[in-house]
Amino acid sequence: METEEINENPPPAFSNYLPSVAIVGAIFGVVSFVLSLFFGYQQINAEPTGSIFSPVMLSGVVVCLITCFGGAVAVWHYTKEVSSSLTLGQGSLIGFMTGAVIVLATVVFNEIWMLIDPDYTEKLIEATVANVEAMDLPQNAKDDMIDSMVQGVRSSQSVLQQIFWGIPVTGLLNLITGMIGTKLFANKEEESF
Amino acid sequence: MMKQKWLYFGVLTALFLLVLFSLGSGLWGSEQSGRHWTEKLFYGVCHQMPDRSFTFNSLPMAVNSRCFGIFFGLFAGWLTIPLSYKLTFKKTWPVKLLLFAVILQIIDFSGNYLQLWVNTNLSRALLGFLLGAGASLSIGDLFYNNNSKK
Repeated sequence: METEEINENPPPAFSNYLPSVAIVGAIFGVVSFVLSLFFGYQQINAEPTGSIFSPVMLSGVVVCLITCFGGAVAVWHYTKEVSSSLTLGQGSLIGFMTGAVIVLATVVFNEIWMLIDPDYTEKLIEATVANVEAMDLPQNAKDDMIDSMVQGVRSSQSVLQQIFWGIPVTGLLNLITGMIGTKLFANKEEESF
Repeated sequence: MMKQKWLYFGVLTALFLLVLFSLGSGLWGSEQSGRHWTEKLFYGVCHQMPDRSFTFNSLPMAVNSRCFGIFFGLFAGWLTIPLSYKLTFKKTWPVKLLLFAVILQIIDFSGNYLQLWVNTNLSRALLGFLLGAGASLSIGDLFYNNNSKK
Protein backbone atom coordinates (compact mmCIF):
# COMPACT_ATOMS: atom_id res chain seq x y z
CA MET A 1 0.00 0.00 0.00
CA GLU A 2 1.37 3.35 -0.95
CA THR A 3 1.34 6.12 1.58
CA GLU A 4 1.84 9.82 1.04
CA GLU A 5 3.32 11.63 4.00
CA ILE A 6 3.09 15.35 4.40
CA ASN A 7 6.08 17.00 5.98
CA GLU A 8 4.78 19.73 8.25
CA ASN A 9 8.24 21.08 9.02
CA PRO A 10 9.37 23.69 6.50
CA PRO A 11 12.60 22.79 4.74
CA PRO A 12 15.67 24.48 6.24
CA ALA A 13 16.84 27.67 4.56
CA PHE A 14 19.64 27.31 2.06
CA SER A 15 21.84 29.44 4.30
CA ASN A 16 21.61 26.78 7.02
CA TYR A 17 23.79 24.48 4.91
CA LEU A 18 26.46 27.06 4.21
CA PRO A 19 28.45 26.93 7.49
CA SER A 20 28.94 23.15 7.23
CA VAL A 21 29.71 23.38 3.51
CA ALA A 22 32.14 26.29 3.95
CA ILE A 23 33.94 24.94 7.03
CA VAL A 24 34.35 21.36 5.84
CA GLY A 25 35.06 22.43 2.23
CA ALA A 26 37.73 24.88 3.36
CA ILE A 27 39.35 22.36 5.73
CA PHE A 28 39.43 19.64 3.07
CA GLY A 29 40.71 22.20 0.54
CA VAL A 30 43.57 23.12 2.87
CA VAL A 31 44.37 19.48 3.61
CA SER A 32 44.29 18.64 -0.10
CA PHE A 33 46.54 21.61 -0.94
CA VAL A 34 49.02 20.91 1.87
CA LEU A 35 49.29 17.23 0.96
CA SER A 36 49.81 18.06 -2.73
CA LEU A 37 52.52 20.51 -1.76
CA PHE A 38 54.15 18.04 0.64
CA PHE A 39 54.31 15.28 -1.97
CA GLY A 40 55.31 17.80 -4.64
CA TYR A 41 58.36 19.01 -2.71
CA GLN A 42 59.17 15.42 -1.78
CA GLN A 43 59.30 14.67 -5.51
CA ILE A 44 61.39 17.77 -6.21
CA ASN A 45 63.94 16.98 -3.50
CA ALA A 46 64.16 13.23 -4.13
CA GLU A 47 66.66 11.49 -6.37
CA PRO A 48 64.88 9.95 -9.41
CA THR A 49 64.35 6.30 -8.45
CA GLY A 50 62.33 5.17 -11.44
CA SER A 51 59.63 3.84 -9.13
CA ILE A 52 56.07 3.90 -10.44
CA PHE A 53 55.01 4.93 -6.95
CA SER A 54 56.46 8.40 -7.07
CA PRO A 55 55.39 11.04 -4.52
CA VAL A 56 53.30 12.75 -7.22
CA MET A 57 51.37 9.55 -7.91
CA LEU A 58 50.85 8.97 -4.19
CA SER A 59 49.66 12.54 -3.93
CA GLY A 60 47.02 11.90 -6.60
CA VAL A 61 45.70 8.81 -4.84
CA VAL A 62 45.73 10.22 -1.29
CA VAL A 63 44.29 13.62 -2.19
CA CYS A 64 41.53 12.07 -4.30
CA LEU A 65 40.52 9.67 -1.51
CA ILE A 66 40.47 12.43 1.10
CA THR A 67 38.57 15.00 -0.95
CA CYS A 68 35.88 12.46 -1.85
CA PHE A 69 34.95 12.11 1.83
CA GLY A 70 34.24 15.83 2.23
CA GLY A 71 30.55 15.37 1.45
CA ALA A 72 30.03 12.78 4.18
CA VAL A 73 31.94 14.88 6.74
CA ALA A 74 29.94 18.01 5.86
CA VAL A 75 26.69 16.08 6.39
CA TRP A 76 28.02 14.82 9.72
CA HIS A 77 28.88 18.42 10.72
CA TYR A 78 25.41 19.62 9.69
CA THR A 79 23.69 16.90 11.73
CA LYS A 80 25.78 17.81 14.78
CA GLU A 81 25.54 21.59 14.54
CA VAL A 82 22.26 22.43 12.82
CA SER A 83 19.74 19.61 12.66
CA SER A 84 19.86 15.86 12.88
CA SER A 85 16.97 15.62 10.41
CA LEU A 86 18.02 15.61 6.80
CA THR A 87 16.47 14.44 3.55
CA LEU A 88 18.41 12.58 0.89
CA GLY A 89 18.15 15.58 -1.44
CA GLN A 90 19.51 17.95 1.21
CA GLY A 91 22.38 15.57 1.97
CA SER A 92 23.30 15.31 -1.69
CA LEU A 93 23.15 19.11 -2.09
CA ILE A 94 25.45 19.58 0.90
CA GLY A 95 27.82 16.99 -0.59
CA PHE A 96 27.92 18.62 -4.04
CA MET A 97 28.46 22.11 -2.63
CA THR A 98 31.23 20.82 -0.36
CA GLY A 99 32.98 19.35 -3.40
CA ALA A 100 32.71 22.71 -5.16
CA VAL A 101 34.17 24.55 -2.15
CA ILE A 102 37.05 22.04 -1.94
CA VAL A 103 37.91 22.76 -5.59
CA LEU A 104 37.64 26.54 -5.12
CA ALA A 105 39.75 26.50 -1.94
CA THR A 106 42.43 24.34 -3.55
CA VAL A 107 42.59 26.63 -6.59
CA VAL A 108 42.91 29.75 -4.41
CA PHE A 109 45.68 28.24 -2.27
CA ASN A 110 47.52 27.01 -5.38
CA GLU A 111 47.44 30.52 -6.83
CA ILE A 112 48.72 32.01 -3.59
CA TRP A 113 51.55 29.48 -3.55
CA MET A 114 52.51 30.45 -7.08
CA LEU A 115 53.24 33.92 -5.72
CA ILE A 116 55.39 32.49 -2.92
CA ASP A 117 57.31 30.00 -5.08
CA PRO A 118 56.84 30.87 -8.77
CA ASP A 119 59.25 28.13 -9.91
CA TYR A 120 57.35 25.35 -8.14
CA THR A 121 55.58 24.05 -11.26
CA GLU A 122 58.71 23.95 -13.41
CA LYS A 123 60.71 22.24 -10.63
CA LEU A 124 57.94 19.66 -10.23
CA ILE A 125 57.86 18.99 -13.97
CA GLU A 126 61.65 18.53 -14.10
CA ALA A 127 61.62 16.13 -11.13
CA THR A 128 58.69 14.16 -12.54
CA VAL A 129 60.30 13.82 -15.97
CA ALA A 130 63.60 12.73 -14.38
CA ASN A 131 61.79 10.02 -12.42
CA VAL A 132 59.97 8.70 -15.49
CA GLU A 133 63.21 8.70 -17.51
CA ALA A 134 64.73 6.44 -14.83
CA MET A 135 61.90 3.91 -15.17
CA ASP A 136 62.52 0.54 -16.75
CA LEU A 137 60.02 1.03 -19.56
CA PRO A 138 60.11 1.20 -23.38
CA GLN A 139 60.92 4.72 -24.61
CA ASN A 140 57.51 5.27 -26.24
CA ALA A 141 55.77 4.35 -22.96
CA LYS A 142 58.01 6.82 -21.14
CA ASP A 143 57.22 9.51 -23.72
CA ASP A 144 53.48 8.95 -23.31
CA MET A 145 53.79 9.12 -19.53
CA ILE A 146 55.91 12.27 -19.65
CA ASP A 147 53.48 13.97 -22.05
CA SER A 148 50.55 13.06 -19.81
CA MET A 149 52.21 14.22 -16.60
CA VAL A 150 53.71 17.42 -17.98
CA GLN A 151 50.45 18.47 -19.60
CA GLY A 152 48.64 17.61 -16.38
CA VAL A 153 50.89 19.73 -14.20
CA ARG A 154 50.91 22.63 -16.68
CA SER A 155 47.13 22.59 -17.10
CA SER A 156 46.77 23.13 -13.38
CA GLN A 157 48.11 26.65 -13.81
CA SER A 158 44.89 27.98 -15.32
CA VAL A 159 42.50 29.09 -12.59
CA LEU A 160 39.36 28.95 -14.70
CA GLN A 161 40.25 25.53 -16.09
CA GLN A 162 40.75 24.13 -12.62
CA ILE A 163 37.36 25.43 -11.50
CA PHE A 164 35.48 24.60 -14.70
CA TRP A 165 36.85 21.07 -15.03
CA GLY A 166 37.24 20.36 -11.33
CA ILE A 167 33.81 21.05 -9.88
CA PRO A 168 31.64 18.58 -11.87
CA VAL A 169 33.52 15.38 -11.01
CA THR A 170 34.60 16.35 -7.48
CA GLY A 171 31.08 17.66 -6.87
CA LEU A 172 29.45 14.44 -8.10
CA LEU A 173 31.71 12.19 -6.01
CA ASN A 174 31.04 14.32 -2.93
CA LEU A 175 27.32 14.28 -3.72
CA ILE A 176 27.45 10.49 -3.43
CA THR A 177 29.46 10.56 -0.20
CA GLY A 178 26.98 13.19 1.04
CA MET A 179 24.25 10.60 0.50
CA ILE A 180 26.32 8.00 2.36
CA GLY A 181 26.70 10.56 5.15
CA THR A 182 22.92 11.03 5.21
CA LYS A 183 22.49 7.29 5.61
CA LEU A 184 25.07 7.05 8.39
CA PHE A 185 24.50 10.24 10.41
CA ALA A 186 21.04 11.71 9.78
CA ASN A 187 17.54 10.98 10.95
CA LYS A 188 15.98 10.69 7.53
CA GLU A 189 12.93 12.80 6.77
CA GLU A 190 10.34 11.34 4.43
CA GLU A 191 9.92 13.02 1.11
CA SER A 192 8.03 12.02 -2.00
CA PHE A 193 8.18 13.40 -5.51
CA MET B 1 7.22 3.38 -3.67
CA MET B 2 10.37 5.03 -4.90
CA LYS B 3 10.91 8.58 -3.71
CA GLN B 4 13.22 11.32 -4.97
CA LYS B 5 12.91 9.99 -8.52
CA TRP B 6 14.33 13.24 -9.93
CA LEU B 7 17.44 12.78 -7.81
CA TYR B 8 17.76 9.12 -8.76
CA PHE B 9 17.52 9.77 -12.49
CA GLY B 10 19.68 12.89 -12.27
CA VAL B 11 22.50 10.99 -10.60
CA LEU B 12 21.99 8.04 -12.97
CA THR B 13 22.46 10.39 -15.93
CA ALA B 14 25.50 12.01 -14.34
CA LEU B 15 27.09 8.62 -13.65
CA PHE B 16 26.37 7.47 -17.21
CA LEU B 17 28.12 10.58 -18.53
CA LEU B 18 30.97 10.00 -16.07
CA VAL B 19 31.56 6.53 -17.55
CA LEU B 20 31.28 7.80 -21.13
CA PHE B 21 33.67 10.70 -20.52
CA SER B 22 36.15 8.44 -18.73
CA LEU B 23 36.58 6.46 -21.97
CA GLY B 24 38.60 9.46 -23.14
CA SER B 25 39.90 10.47 -26.55
CA GLY B 26 39.32 6.98 -27.98
CA LEU B 27 35.58 7.74 -27.94
CA TRP B 28 35.50 11.53 -28.15
CA GLY B 29 38.23 12.09 -30.74
CA SER B 30 41.78 13.16 -30.09
CA GLU B 31 42.69 16.83 -30.29
CA GLN B 32 45.49 18.14 -32.48
CA SER B 33 47.33 19.88 -29.68
CA GLY B 34 47.17 20.17 -25.93
CA ARG B 35 45.48 18.04 -23.36
CA HIS B 36 42.20 16.34 -24.25
CA TRP B 37 39.15 17.79 -22.50
CA THR B 38 38.27 14.45 -20.91
CA GLU B 39 41.75 14.34 -19.33
CA LYS B 40 41.24 17.87 -17.97
CA LEU B 41 37.90 16.77 -16.52
CA PHE B 42 39.45 13.98 -14.45
CA TYR B 43 42.84 15.56 -13.71
CA GLY B 44 41.89 16.50 -10.15
CA VAL B 45 40.76 12.99 -9.17
CA CYS B 46 43.08 10.62 -11.06
CA HIS B 47 46.80 10.33 -11.80
CA GLN B 48 45.92 9.23 -15.39
CA MET B 49 49.11 7.26 -16.00
CA PRO B 50 48.74 5.69 -19.46
CA ASP B 51 50.46 2.40 -18.55
CA ARG B 52 48.00 1.92 -15.67
CA SER B 53 44.95 2.64 -17.82
CA PHE B 54 42.86 0.58 -20.22
CA THR B 55 42.81 1.62 -23.84
CA PHE B 56 39.72 2.38 -25.88
CA ASN B 57 40.09 2.42 -29.67
CA SER B 58 43.85 2.04 -29.12
CA LEU B 59 44.06 5.21 -27.01
CA PRO B 60 44.49 5.34 -23.23
CA MET B 61 41.31 6.15 -21.34
CA ALA B 62 41.06 9.46 -19.49
CA VAL B 63 41.26 7.68 -16.12
CA ASN B 64 43.29 4.76 -14.82
CA SER B 65 41.85 1.27 -14.54
CA ARG B 66 40.96 1.57 -10.83
CA CYS B 67 39.06 4.84 -11.32
CA PHE B 68 37.27 3.40 -14.36
CA GLY B 69 36.26 0.39 -12.26
CA ILE B 70 34.93 2.69 -9.52
CA PHE B 71 32.95 4.84 -11.98
CA PHE B 72 31.53 1.83 -13.79
CA GLY B 73 30.71 0.17 -10.46
CA LEU B 74 28.94 3.33 -9.26
CA PHE B 75 26.88 3.42 -12.46
CA ALA B 76 26.10 -0.32 -12.48
CA GLY B 77 25.19 -0.30 -8.79
CA TRP B 78 23.02 2.79 -9.24
CA LEU B 79 21.27 1.20 -12.20
CA THR B 80 20.27 -1.80 -10.07
CA ILE B 81 18.82 0.24 -7.17
CA PRO B 82 15.19 -0.10 -8.35
CA LEU B 83 15.68 -3.83 -8.97
CA SER B 84 17.66 -4.71 -5.88
CA TYR B 85 15.75 -2.90 -3.19
CA LYS B 86 14.10 -6.08 -1.94
CA LEU B 87 17.58 -7.42 -1.30
CA THR B 88 18.97 -4.21 0.20
CA PHE B 89 16.04 -2.53 2.00
CA LYS B 90 16.78 -2.27 5.73
CA LYS B 91 19.64 -4.72 5.31
CA THR B 92 23.15 -4.08 6.59
CA TRP B 93 25.06 -6.15 4.04
CA PRO B 94 25.46 -3.32 1.48
CA VAL B 95 27.28 -1.17 4.06
CA LYS B 96 29.39 -4.17 5.06
CA LEU B 97 30.16 -4.77 1.38
CA LEU B 98 31.27 -1.14 1.06
CA LEU B 99 33.54 -1.42 4.11
CA PHE B 100 34.95 -4.70 2.77
CA ALA B 101 35.64 -3.06 -0.60
CA VAL B 102 37.41 -0.12 1.07
CA ILE B 103 39.59 -2.49 3.11
CA LEU B 104 40.38 -4.51 -0.04
CA GLN B 105 41.48 -1.31 -1.81
CA ILE B 106 43.81 -0.42 1.04
CA ILE B 107 45.27 -3.95 1.16
CA ASP B 108 45.72 -4.10 -2.62
CA PHE B 109 47.36 -0.67 -2.83
CA SER B 110 49.61 -1.32 0.18
CA GLY B 111 50.67 -4.77 -1.05
CA ASN B 112 51.59 -3.37 -4.44
CA TYR B 113 53.36 -0.37 -2.87
CA LEU B 114 55.37 -2.63 -0.55
CA GLN B 115 56.17 -4.89 -3.53
CA LEU B 116 54.48 -7.92 -1.93
CA TRP B 117 52.63 -8.49 -5.21
CA VAL B 118 52.03 -6.79 -8.54
CA ASN B 119 48.44 -5.90 -9.37
CA THR B 120 47.17 -5.57 -12.91
CA ASN B 121 44.79 -3.26 -14.75
CA LEU B 122 42.13 -5.98 -14.53
CA SER B 123 42.56 -6.60 -10.81
CA ARG B 124 42.52 -2.86 -10.06
CA ALA B 125 39.40 -2.40 -12.19
CA LEU B 126 37.59 -5.31 -10.51
CA LEU B 127 38.38 -4.04 -7.02
CA GLY B 128 37.34 -0.55 -8.09
CA PHE B 129 34.08 -1.94 -9.46
CA LEU B 130 33.36 -3.59 -6.11
CA LEU B 131 33.94 -0.29 -4.30
CA GLY B 132 31.76 1.71 -6.69
CA ALA B 133 28.94 -0.83 -6.71
CA GLY B 134 29.12 -1.11 -2.91
CA ALA B 135 28.82 2.67 -2.57
CA SER B 136 25.73 2.81 -4.79
CA LEU B 137 24.02 -0.19 -3.20
CA SER B 138 24.69 1.08 0.33
CA ILE B 139 22.54 4.16 -0.28
CA GLY B 140 19.94 2.47 -2.47
CA ASP B 141 17.40 1.93 0.30
CA LEU B 142 17.26 5.68 0.99
CA PHE B 143 15.17 5.94 -2.16
CA TYR B 144 12.39 3.97 -0.53
CA ASN B 145 9.99 5.00 2.20
CA ASN B 146 10.49 3.44 5.60
CA ASN B 147 6.96 2.07 5.40
CA SER B 148 7.51 0.42 2.02
CA LYS B 149 6.82 -3.27 1.91
CA LYS B 150 9.91 -5.41 1.90
